[in-house]
Amino acid sequence: MRGFATAATIGLLGALLAAPAAAQYGNPAGMTPGAPQEKPGVPAPDHPNATARLFARLAVAGGLAEVELGELATRQGGGEAVQGFAQRMVEEHSKANERLVGVAGEAGIPLPDAPDAEHQAQRDRLEPLSGRDFDLAYMSGQVRDHIRTAQLLAWEIGSGQDADMQRFAADTLPAVLDHLRQAQELLVRLRTEAGS
Amino acid sequence: MARIPGFVALAVAGALLGFAPPAGSADPLPPSLTYRPLPTQPFSDVKAMDEAQKPQVMQRQADLLEERYDLSDRPIPEVFMSGGMRAVQGGVRVKLPEGVTWEELSSLSPSEIRERGLLPGGFLPLPHVKQATGGQVFPDDQIEAILEQESRDLRRFDVEFDLPKHLTPEFPPPIFLTTRPELGDVSQGQLLTIKNHYELLNGILTPVQMEGLRLLLTPFPQEEFNMTEDRKVEEQSLGVTCLDCHANFNTNAAFHLTPDVRPQAHRFRLDSTSLRGLFNQQIHGSKRSLRSVEDFTEFEQRTAYFNGDHVSATRKGVHLPDRPNQVAMMAQMQNIIDFPPAPKLDPFGRLDPELASEQELEGERIFLGKGRCAVCHVPETAFMNNNMHDLKLERFYQVGTTVNDLVTQPDGAIKTFTLRGIKDTPPYLHDGRLLTLADTVEFFNLVLGLDLEQSEKEALVAYMLAL
Repeated sequence: MRGFATAATIGLLGALLAAPAAAQYGNPAGMTPGAPQEKPGVPAPDHPNATARLFARLAVAGGLAEVELGELATRQGGGEAVQGFAQRMVEEHSKANERLVGVAGEAGIPLPDAPDAEHQAQRDRLEPLSGRDFDLAYMSGQVRDHIRTAQLLAWEIGSGQDADMQRFAADTLPAVLDHLRQAQELLVRLRTEAGS
Repeated sequence: MARIPGFVALAVAGALLGFAPPAGSADPLPPSLTYRPLPTQPFSDVKAMDEAQKPQVMQRQADLLEERYDLSDRPIPEVFMSGGMRAVQGGVRVKLPEGVTWEELSSLSPSEIRERGLLPGGFLPLPHVKQATGGQVFPDDQIEAILEQESRDLRRFDVEFDLPKHLTPEFPPPIFLTTRPELGDVSQGQLLTIKNHYELLNGILTPVQMEGLRLLLTPFPQEEFNMTEDRKVEEQSLGVTCLDCHANFNTNAAFHLTPDVRPQAHRFRLDSTSLRGLFNQQIHGSKRSLRSVEDFTEFEQRTAYFNGDHVSATRKGVHLPDRPNQVAMMAQMQNIIDFPPAPKLDPFGRLDPELASEQELEGERIFLGKGRCAVCHVPETAFMNNNMHDLKLERFYQVGTTVNDLVTQPDGAIKTFTLRGIKDTPPYLHDGRLLTLADTVEFFNLVLGLDLEQSEKEALVAYMLAL
């Protein structure tokens, strides 16, 4: 249950610390040429640039994988800590996916409906495993995926063009970094146990 | 691992390796997380949009500064910077969260402060005015002086300098030379430029120093100041010079983004550092820890000028100074820049009790003792220790929150900067997030858990003014 408490705290903090939802002004050098503008220099809503489109595709595929792998881990995970973490992934990434699919859908970005090949391969490697072997493999993948996700979110914050999607990225990043911190701790603990 | 039988260790290692996806099976992240993307729009379109955005960009920054700080003009009576041209500002300027006092705050644990969101906003990393673009931003004094003397325009069309003048260093700052201390300030109240440097310093410098100075004052293309469609200045630009930021070898508080971090949203703001006393510094750059002023001088073309992106630099016209000649001469010039005089300090960097006030002496005792300042800012070695340290400020706040497009990440290890002549170089900390010396005392009181009394805090400020 520790995971849930942390999640609740993060949610609360997010609310307390959230900067005023100021519109985001990127570097116009990176805007899509000819993108419609709400007023000069401010891209109209729902006209994402290439960054935002690729971000949405990768983030949705990654998010779907988080949920799928998390569900697998709640069934096949060996330890309580990993199962708790996996449960947190299922719940928080489901919620985040829902929001992202909403904002990216409004922006007319074609989105994947299943994890990408890379995550399917990860799932294939995990499926025959159980217990501690599963936990180690799952958590290694989680560390890697969360580093990538944190990078993608920061990329969208800095280079995206759709204010709603940038706001989604900014709101989601603290939680993803907290997932990463937890995953790193768990992985080290599992390795220590495996080595002792 | 010595206790573990070899075959078990091997099995575990093998198993761990087996979990990692095979190399080459995963797509790398998009290249613009590391490299600067090429512009996709014509210059005139970008400029028109940048100009249209500018009022809101500046308003957003002004709102943040107003929310975090008391920006008013409240000088300490009769305390001026070394050249006597600008008063030193006093008082704590970082605003407290509602309903908390500094005393209450310092009685809470870091995790309590984090969980309750009570860290004053002014203690958090200070964003650049426009994070997505970043780049060098010069104060008006510098822009006007360079335009007048060189007809070179340092004014960007997308952003402006954000701090009020009274919270920045005096301009132009005095110049003190280790080679001719008896002359005092040799600037004659002028800003050193490529135009006037020979006239001002002929007969004072050696030929080698003079050539080094000329190079330090020669404009070279920079990321936002160049000939390409990617510039942020109206006319095609010859570029910037080293001393455009390090005005008269001190600083004018021009700021930039760190070249050492990616992606862009994570790059923290950098407040230009003073070059005074560079001769005693063994490491250079807040993050890079370059081991000589020669390395630093040579590499700034890749970093201060081009954001640590040698690929972009090549496109816009990088200047690669010749190491045995040009770099050495630039380094020799920088190495004769002295700190401003501190008449109350003895040769060991300690206060002379005959000259110092009781409050300053009390400040020194706290600096060396309860305040633990001297652990890093060692008086005998010019109030620094040539090391980098991590203050672990993230104990006090939620990492990853985005403020004005800057993702607040932990600062990590940052170089210890000197405190000699510190009253001349506001704002403080590597990103300029602290506006006065009183702010720095409150910051370290909290971060280091010092539990200082009000009188002790005031004594520390009085002491730092004497350095």
